[in-house]
Amino acid sequence: MKPILRLFSLLVLGALLMALATSWGQEQTGSQQDQDKTQKEQQKKKKKSGFFSGLKAITGESSEQQEVTATAGSKTVGEGEQIGNAQPTAADRQAVTAMENYSIPEKDVKKFQDDGQLKPQQ
Amino acid sequence: MKPRIAFRTGLWAAQMLAVLALLVPAREARAQFGDFLKKAADKAQKAQKALQPMTLEEEREVGREVAAKLVAFFRLYKDDALTRYVNLVGATVAAQSERQDVAYHFAVLDSDDINAFSAPGGYIFITRGAVALCEDESELAGVLAHEVGHVAGKHVLKIVERDKALRSGMEEAQAYAPGSAYLHKMSRGVLVKLIDQGLAPSDEYDADQRGIKYAHAAGYPADGLARFLTKLDQATQQGGKSFWTRTHPPVQDRNARLQQTIAAQHWEDADRPKLADRFAAETQKVKPKAGA
Repeated sequence: MKPILRLFSLLVLGALLMALATSWGQEQTGSQQDQDKTQKEQQKKKKKSGFFSGLKAITGESSEQQEVTATAGSKTVGEGEQIGNAQPTAADRQAVTAMENYSIPEKDVKKFQDDGQLKPQQ
Repeated sequence: MKPRIAFRTGLWAAQMLAVLALLVPAREARAQFGDFLKKAADKAQKAQKALQPMTLEEEREVGREVAAKLVAFFRLYKDDALTRYVNLVGATVAAQSERQDVAYHFAVLDSDDINAFSAPGGYIFITRGAVALCEDESELAGVLAHEVGHVAGKHVLKIVERDKALRSGMEEAQAYAPGSAYLHKMSRGVLVKLIDQGLAPSDEYDADQRGIKYAHAAGYPADGLARFLTKLDQATQQGGKSFWTRTHPPVQDRNARLQQTIAAQHWEDADRPKLADRFAAETQKVKPKAGA
């Protein structure tokens, strides 16, 4: 091979290596950027809900409670949207949980039915 | 070097460089296209999930949120004896429901309004005003059985599922966490539908039919709901507050259908216990005092 051809081949090889190096570098930067983005998003989420929502659950205090106006006496049905916009407090949610956990033993239900002379089919 | 060979080598090198120059941006374009495909697949997956029926757990979470809003607005009527009594009557009729994959929970809301509500997941509420309007246990059983009928017929759940499909794009990982924006919007929609717009008349008729079936199967006279509805009609004409007459089909129409079913089924249960005395003893606290 003549020297000029050798030089030319070396130049091409060099260009090839440079192109590969550039491409690899871009991929690394890209994945680094992705990692940074994920980290930032996770931090954002943590700030938004994680830590403080846990604290709210423990203390039972929340901004929701501040929005609720305490009322005395009975309320009447307003617009559905009005009820729909109600912001339940920790105590309200606890009341729902208590409602879920409320159970009457089967034998008491049976006694109640017998006392009333009800004859259920099943 | 011959000029011809030098030209060929130069051309080959130029081609190589051109290919390399194209390769770098092509990788980026491929990556962008990959992202686009991934996002599209995620969206399609979410949309597909939104069209699927809700799981029991999802239904319960929506119901829990609706229940929490009702409690937040009205407050529970805190009387252990009355709560126990309503739960005993409720459990008696709910045991006859075809739908036993949910647990039925009953509570009394502290309101003069004559109303009852059912939320997905088996949460059933009756107001103090509605209890006070009943004259005997069979009427209370009729009202509670009607609400159990809504849960069994999944009437509210169907609205929620339609809403879920509409909101498919909004679904997040934490969508069903208590108090999430998603649940807030969903439960608000349910309450607006229940109180302002009402369910479809066909759903109300269906809940009526299911209700009298449960009440009858539980051992009560089947016409308890019809007797309650007649009183409700009279009460609202005299200024009583209830959305039941505003958002439900006309009472005369409902009662006519109920009587038709009772006649068709040959349910001759006039001798069945209405349990007026037990009801009076258990509910005396919520009954308006004579002369009041």
